[in-house]
Amino acid sequence: MRTRLLISLVLLVVLGGVAMGQQPPAGKTHLKVGDPAPDFTLRATDGKTYKLSDFKGKKNVVLAIYVLAFTGG
Amino acid sequence: MSVDSIPANREFAKQLGVTFPILSDFKRTVVKDYGVFNEEQGFGNRATFVIDKEGIIRHVEEGNTAIDPTSAADTCNALTHKKAATTP
Repeated sequence: MRTRLLISLVLLVVLGGVAMGQQPPAGKTHLKVGDPAPDFTLRATDGKTYKLSDFKGKKNVVLAIYVLAFTGG
Repeated sequence: MSVDSIPANREFAKQLGVTFPILSDFKRTVVKDYGVFNEEQGFGNRATFVIDKEGIIRHVEEGNTAIDPTSAADTCNALTHKKAATTP
């Protein structure tokens, strides 16, 4: 009984560690409010190419980076 | 934006029913420039940046709290109102 409890606890710790390891570590960008945004040029799902600096003087931009497709959020 | 390929993001967008284009940073250059590249996993960590018309970063949010767009939307509203206040 005591051995079973011990095994369960060890499994819990190991599995918990694995689950935590799958979470991306906290972000650590060097960028902060007030910094110039690094320019980029990327292709999108509509087949067009978007350049951040093309929006300069025209629109505010929200750059939302998500972890991977088919994941939540 | 994510580091997924364009076909993967197209399928993801189709599943979600989103109508706006999604950017693909397949070469990981942008996530590296923005300091959110997760080297161990090979993808960009979740983050939201609001960039104003002058190209200046006005809001940064990283990690799981970046799922909630409320504070980014607040920053956008503040930028819009700032424009309205300065436009005659």
